[in-house]
This record gives sequence, C-alpha cells and structure tokens, in this order.
Amino acid sequence: MNAPAPPFARFAFSFLLIAALPCALAASATPAGAATPAAKPAAKPAAATPAASAAAAAPPCEACHGAHGEGMAAAHVPRISGQSADYLKKQLDDYAAGTRDNPIMANFAKALSEQQRAKFAARYAAMSARYIPQVKPPIAVHLARGHQLAFQGDEAKRVQACNACHGPDGVGVPHAAPYLAGQSAEFLASALKAFKDGTRKNDAGELMRSVAERLDDADIAAVTGYFASVDLSTH
Amino acid sequence: MAQRLKEVDVVVIGVGMVGSIVAKELAAAGYKVVGLERGQTRFTVPEFQSPAVHDELRFDIRKALMQDNTREPVTFRNQGAQVALPVRRWESFLPGTGLGGSMVHWNGQTYRFQATDFQLATQTRERYGKNFLDPDVTIQDWGVTYDDLEPHYDRFEYLLGTSGKAGNIKGRIQAGGDPHESPRSRDYPTPPQKEHFQGAMFRKAAGSLGYHPFPQPSSNLSQPYTNPEGVKLNACVFCGFCERYACEHYAKSVPQTVILPVLLANPNFELRTGCQVQRINLDSTKKHATGVTYIDAVGRVFEQPASLVITSTFAINNIRMLLLSGIGKPYDPATGHGVVGRNYAYQTMSTVASFFDEDVIVNPFMASGASGTLVNDFAGDNFDHSGLGFIGGAYIGAVNTNGRPIQYHPVPPGTPAWGKGWKQAVVKHYNHTVMFSCHGSSVSQRQNYCDLDPTYRDAWGQPVLRITFDFPPNDIKMAAYVTAKAVEIGKAMGAKQVVGSPRKGPYTVTQYQTTHNTGGTVMGDDPKTSVVNRYLQSWDVPNVFVIGASNYPQNATWNPTGTLGALTYWAIDALKNKYLKSPGRLVSA
Amino acid sequence: MDKVTRRSFVTTVGAATVAPAAALLPLTAPAAAPPAKSADLAEPPKTTYLFFNTAEVLFIEAACERLIPADESGPGALGAWVPNYLDKQLGGAWGAGERLYRSGPWQPGTPSQGYQLPFTPAELFHASLRAINRDLDAHGTPFHGMSPEAQDAYLKSLESGAHDLDGVPSGVFFDMLLKMSIEGFFSDPVYGGNRNMVAWRMIGFPGAYADYFEAIDRHGVKFEREPMSLAEDGHRNIHVRQDIPANL
Repeated sequence: MNAPAPPFARFAFSFLLIAALPCALAASATPAGAATPAAKPAAKPAAATPAASAAAAAPPCEACHGAHGEGMAAAHVPRISGQSADYLKKQLDDYAAGTRDNPIMANFAKALSEQQRAKFAARYAAMSARYIPQVKPPIAVHLARGHQLAFQGDEAKRVQACNACHGPDGVGVPHAAPYLAGQSAEFLASALKAFKDGTRKNDAGELMRSVAERLDDADIAAVTGYFASVDLSTH
Repeated sequence: MAQRLKEVDVVVIGVGMVGSIVAKELAAAGYKVVGLERGQTRFTVPEFQSPAVHDELRFDIRKALMQDNTREPVTFRNQGAQVALPVRRWESFLPGTGLGGSMVHWNGQTYRFQATDFQLATQTRERYGKNFLDPDVTIQDWGVTYDDLEPHYDRFEYLLGTSGKAGNIKGRIQAGGDPHESPRSRDYPTPPQKEHFQGAMFRKAAGSLGYHPFPQPSSNLSQPYTNPEGVKLNACVFCGFCERYACEHYAKSVPQTVILPVLLANPNFELRTGCQVQRINLDSTKKHATGVTYIDAVGRVFEQPASLVITSTFAINNIRMLLLSGIGKPYDPATGHGVVGRNYAYQTMSTVASFFDEDVIVNPFMASGASGTLVNDFAGDNFDHSGLGFIGGAYIGAVNTNGRPIQYHPVPPGTPAWGKGWKQAVVKHYNHTVMFSCHGSSVSQRQNYCDLDPTYRDAWGQPVLRITFDFPPNDIKMAAYVTAKAVEIGKAMGAKQVVGSPRKGPYTVTQYQTTHNTGGTVMGDDPKTSVVNRYLQSWDVPNVFVIGASNYPQNATWNPTGTLGALTYWAIDALKNKYLKSPGRLVSA
Repeated sequence: MDKVTRRSFVTTVGAATVAPAAALLPLTAPAAAPPAKSADLAEPPKTTYLFFNTAEVLFIEAACERLIPADESGPGALGAWVPNYLDKQLGGAWGAGERLYRSGPWQPGTPSQGYQLPFTPAELFHASLRAINRDLDAHGTPFHGMSPEAQDAYLKSLESGAHDLDGVPSGVFFDMLLKMSIEGFFSDPVYGGNRNMVAWRMIGFPGAYADYFEAIDRHGVKFEREPMSLAEDGHRNIHVRQDIPANL
C-alpha cells in the first residue's frame, strides 16, 4: 500500500521508549508532542516471530492510549476507554487485514489472534477514564456551528446530523457508530480528513466518506471541537 | 376579487416528483415556470433528521406527512347505491403534501411494468379470447408501448440511482435478475441492496420450488451515487423507518435528493408554497386554458395566467382538478358515458405470515423500504390463465420493510386481541415471523369511478372527490390463487405455521393497503374512453397536460411509481420537442 | 421520581407548527419535570392526571391492565405508564380532534367507511366513561372492584358492542381504548408511555437509533443492544414532551 502514513504515525514515540516496555520500538528523533507533518514514521518495529510474541508480553497499548485508555490528543491517539467493543475489535481486525492503514497499529493487530483482539477490545470497552478538557477550547461561534452539525446537519452541504448515527450527544450507538463525545478534537479531525482524502476507507457503505467529503476545514474544526467539549462524565 | 398576476409560460400544479422533473426540464429549456404547491417547503435538513423522524406514533399512526384531511378529505363508498361518507382519518391510502409530495415518504420500491401491460386488452383478447373477462371489466390498451417508454424508464432509474439487478438486457437473460422482465437497455445504476435474512430465506425456498427470485429494485441506495443532474446520494443504512417517513441520510431517492437542488437554483423557476389551486381557468370556448386560480396561505385569491398548464398533483387530486375546472366530460356509470373519473383502480394486496420457532431470529426492524427478494412467476400475464377465470397476478416476496411495534406485532390466528394470551403471543412471534406480500394487479370495472361529492366540501368551499370502489371479482379470484402459491413458498421455508390472508371484499378504507390509486384521467387513443392522449395532453383542452398515475387505464401488478417516472419523461419529450415548438393538438381526435 | 406536573403540560401545537425546525425537538425538557432514567425499573411513580377525573382513572387503570397485563415477560400497561400516555394524549391536541375530519352531516355508514361519529377522542372517552361508571355504579360493583375474570367479561361485553354508552357504541369505545393502549405501550417514551422502554425490551425492538448497515449482514443473529428513545440524552435521561404535533 503506497498511501501516506496516517497522521498520528508521524508523531513522536520517543516518550514511549521507556526501557521497561517489552515490545521493541525504534526511536524517532522528534521530541514528544511536536507536530511534524513531514517526519517519516518511526522505523517499523522488528517483526515479532511467534516465539518472540509468546515470550513478549501484550502490546503496549497504554503507552500511546494511556493507562486508562484516555488517549493522547496531541499525538492524535484516540481515547478508547469505554468505546464500543465491537468497534474496537473491527478496527483491530481492519488493521490486521490492511483494510485500515497504519503500520504501527497493523503490526500490533497482526501479532494478536482474533480472540486476543476481542479481549483487548473488551478490556478497553470496560474502562472508564476521566474527561480531559481541550487545551484550547473552541470559541462560542465554532461550538455553535459544531452543535448545529451534530444535531441538525447542513442542507446546503447535504450533510446529515452526526448524532443520527453517533447517538444522543455523540455518546455512540453499539453495533453502529463509535462515541464522539469527549474524543480528542485532534484525533477526530485527523479521522475526518483521512476519510475525506481516502486514506481511511474502512467505513462500511462509505458512510463516513460521504459525510467527510462535504465538510470543509472550518466545519471539521467546529464539529470536532464541539464533540471534544462534550463531557458526559457528569450527571 | 382575484388579483391577476403577470403571465408566465408554464404553471405546474403540485411540486412533487413529477412537478419537480417537469419544472426542471422546462425551466432549463428557457421557459418561465411557476410551481404551485399547496404544502410547505421541507428539506432533509432540518425537517427529515433523526432521531426525531424515527417516531412511529407521529408519522405512522398519526400520518404527520400526509395531506391535511381535516381541510381536504375525500368521501368514499363501495357501491353507487350507498351514500359516500368522508374518510375522517386516513388509513387505506395516504396522499402526501408539501414540497416533494408523496415521494418524500415512499418506500423506494421501483418497478417497470411489462410490455403486455401496455396492451392488456389486446393481449387478453388474443391469448384468452374475447369472452374471457367479466363483462364489467373495462381494461384498455394505453396508447403507448413498453418500447416507447423504455428510454424514459432508464432515464428515471438513473435519476433516482435505483439499486437493482437487471434480468433482461436487450433480450439477454441475466442470472440473478428477473427473467420475466421486459428488456432493458442496460443494468440498474447501482447494484442491489444487501439482502436481509427474510429475503435470503425466501430466495432459497422460492428457488427450491423452481421459481425465479430476484432482489427488489430499491431507490434506497446501496452505495453513494451521483446522478446525471449532478446530485449526490448516500448509502441507505436499513433503519426500518421508510414508508411514511422522510430519510435523514440523503439515501432515499426523493425530489429533495435527486432534483430539487437543480430546480431551485434555476432563476426561470419560481416556487410558491401554501398555494391551493382552485381550478384551471378556461376561456369562453372552453377549449383553451388561460391559467389557474389559487388561494394562498393568507387567503388571498390570485389568477396566474399561463400559456401551458400541467397538473401533476397526486393521482386522485388530478381527477378532482379536471372536474373542478370543467375539463373533459365527467363519467356517469349509469350511462357509461363520459371519461373523467372513469377506470379508477387500486392495488390488490394479500399477505402470508410464516411463524417460526424462537431459534429463528428474523430482526424485522433491519430493513429499507425496498429490502427483500421476490418472484414474478405469478405476476401479470407471466403464467397461463386458461381456465382460471381471472386475469392479472401478483408478485410474491419477503419484502417486509420494518418492525415498528405499534403496527407490527404479528400473531397467529386464534390469538386473542388483548390480554395475557395476546401479550404472550406478541413476545413469542415478534422476532420469529416472516411476512410475505402478494402485491396484485387491479383491473378497472365500470362501477369503480371518481366524481365530485354532492354534499361535502373542503375548507375552501369546493366539493371534495368522491371515490366509489370495490374489488372486482376478477381480482378477488386472482388474490386467492396467488396467495395459495405464496403459502407453498412459506412452507418450503420450513416454517412451523404458514397463514395466508388473501384479499377479500368489501374494500375498506379502514386498513392500510397501498397508496397506489390509479386511473380517472386515463390515457389512450380514443377520446371516448380516455381523458388524455398518448402524450398526456387533454383531448379537450390542448394546453393542459395531466401527468400522474391517474393516467393508467388499470393498475398492473407492480408499484406505479417507476412507470409514472417513465411517463413523465415521455411527456416532457413530447412537450419540448413537439408541443412547445408548435402548440396545438398532438394527436387528432 | 418522575412526575409530569401541571407546569410541564404545555400545549404548544400552534407554535411548534410555525417554527421552521418544528420537526427537530430540542433535547432539553420544556419545563420542570425531572427526566425519567431509562435504567430505572422500579415501581412507576404516580401519574398526575390532567384529563381523567378520579372515577375515570379508576376504570382506565384497571381496564388497561387487563388489556395488557403484567406477566413473566414483563410489566403491563400500568408498569409501562400506558394510562399516563392516554391521559396526556386525550388532554392534548389529539384528544381535541387533531387529524380528524369533523364536519357533518353524519351518518353511521358501513364498516368499510370507518369512524363516522362527531365525537373527538376526548369527547368520546368522557361520554363513554361517564356511561360506564354510571352503569356499573347502578349495578353494584365498580370496575376496579371486580375480579379480573369479571373485568375481562365486562370488557368483552364492551368489545362486542353490547352497550350503548350515551350514544357511543361500546365497540367503538373499546376499539379506541385498545388501540390507544397499544400505542401507549409501544410508542417512543417521549410520549409518556412505554416507560423505560419496557415494551421494546420485551420484544427486542431497538428503538429510534437505527443504523443497521453492518448488523443486517448477521443473518439470524440476535441483535443485542439497549433500546434507545428519540428523547434520550447522552446520560440516558428521557425528556418526555406532550407537544409533538401530528404534522410536520
């Protein structure tokens, strides 16, 4: 596959390289958190032989996805705690099969059996991480536009309401669509852009591509900033 | 006193699918077109958005998208000897209203009629003899052939993006499609929708009996599509809220998703909503229309002069428009004379319920409005009717569209209507039942007709339409025959219990059947038995064209909408290339 | 504690139909009623009745529970708050004759011609219940005091048209009562019935959020998902409202 590396792969993983980590990952020169669009992805980790996999511990999900699955906004690593188990499993399956393109995730996913992928998906689905506010919350007019796209859509752009599939307040709908509420704006934006430019195409029925291709950058900033601001942890 | 407006080239009455297509074509050809719609504008955003639109009580039970029956009802009776009474709540058929009309909330089931349907009278006589039919049956040939309409069927299907599998391309039978269909020039614009579990079960059972199952052609699209007008649609997600609902996903082919963006952007077109057209005005010769009179939402009366008037309202409303305008001689069943209102027909619907054990999980709520698999082996004239005593037929299919529980909770016969026994049966059978539809043809007969009611008036003071209709004996016989065949398919599915419910008379307006009202402004070659000629031009008033299922001399086995789309493009062709270049009668009487 | 109070009962049919986004319901409740929790399956709180008087309530609650009784499969009409649904619908635009052609002249008509009485649903219920309660009071035992068998027998006699209820044929009243009870049981909880979506849980209907593009491929596999109301927010609170018009 000759597609450019997905955005978050370009970011540094140097912060991961704590010696205690069992899985070998090559260092990247870029400092943690810096946006370096031009940087090439870190060298592919050494392919794990079956024996090596057995000997190694489980993949270091926490290293990128956080101790409680809260993700890493700046690195475009998604929050996955409490995410739908079947959505997580499908993403792992798609990474393993190559229908979703990401060399690092593909590597981890291929090293797992399907049963193990289901286990990891279930583990993260059961987690609960605190809401993390955005470093730079959107201004009111962007929040309003994002809210409009979420609840109503936009006829001129022929875009339906996100919540129609993603659930009330973007809470997610099992077997249909992942939650968006409390997800990082950076990750959501990178996902929408990947759907839009075709680098991500594992959406059934091209449902996400159909939406993303009609959103411009301002819409993407607004709707992702809005969903990132939705804190469903309070009652 | 009516305020007289500046003259325009064309007035289109009713801005549903037909009106939208006609207006778009004529505006694009440079004509000044005014579209008069009695209802309001509505668009996918915000009016059709979910979850609000997925409200069974509001849209299914309370008919929120339908014609305002409190102001504009119809009256109904089975027989001429009875007094027609108002249909006080819509049930049997559900006329739409508003921008986009009934096709906003249709199911997307998109069929062509077969070649034999267009020459049904001749075909029947030639194949079965001239004494085969009941003497009361008044079926006719259409005045056009399937070959005349084929390019227009194609154009309509490509406008909609219909998802299907061709069965006959230029005479070559295609595996997986309907071998009975009349030849089409090319395949559907998008592939068939995914088959639901019920469709798969049906396909195996029907195939095992030697029939020819194929996927129902669906205008709820299987994949993203950009139509020739440049308008894009999305893939349908099988939400199970299709008929009576508007689609939030831009996935159902409705005027808003296939043509209105183009029409509304053309400055040659002006949309006026909230405008109730009272009549088409005629000059003193009564052979020329001068325009229309309408009343707006504020109650002001306007006269809109125009050179050409197209009435493209819902079928039964087209009939009423001509009657209120004095165009064409009203039909009188007592004498058999007159044409407007004559040959009103409907659709003959039967069902089969197949009940399974609880290990068979059906998930009825996962479906589009046109999901499913069906056979045409007992449709139309696809089988030999010799000795059977009826003509016509039905398609049989597992084409269930929903599991919405207020209306859908199938129980076997003998289940009490309420109480513990009812509740237990509902739980036991809801997710373990497959429903078949037997969607049958409807012949015209001399006793079934429409006229103006002598007693009841609409909110504007005009007589409402009176419908006199009962099922012809021909169709009851047809329903019994086809339902028995459908029961055999249910048994071949391995169901524990299969119950056929063939349509029986009398016709009642209290139970939903279809909104496939046809006839009343019939097309044909003979002005004595038709209201419009083969180009849908009024025989009496050449600058009035009538486009709707009201033109059908009888209703065929299949849903009328696909054929209406074809007739629309056929008429537009005649308007642009013949009539508007040289106004006058296109066919000598 | 759920409560649809008088303050929360707002008839805004006219306003709702004029607003351009009438079809789009805001997620915040229009008044002070605290929202019902979808996961709360405890004993339903008392309804505040606005349409039915006390005598009518006694009949309606008992009758609805006979039509749709609680059993092993789950709650019945009372547990699903069906009487509340009836009360709010009859007290609102629907009861007042929304979508009903109400002009005369009137004749009984044939069965094919359907409902031909001048009564609005509200008038029909009040007239029928008055006649029923008067009839039963005169004969000794009020409906709510009867055994379930006796109640069923009485309901069947209504169903069969054996009674004239001050001009309403009892079969017409019974049909409307049954039809509206089924509506109250299976409609979206936004309308105040189908409390906690108990009826949807009972049959496995997933509700208003309905994207099945991938699930439809799993033929014969049970679809496991909590039912979802069109009126729930991200915290699973359901915001009941009574002002949804029967038009767009």
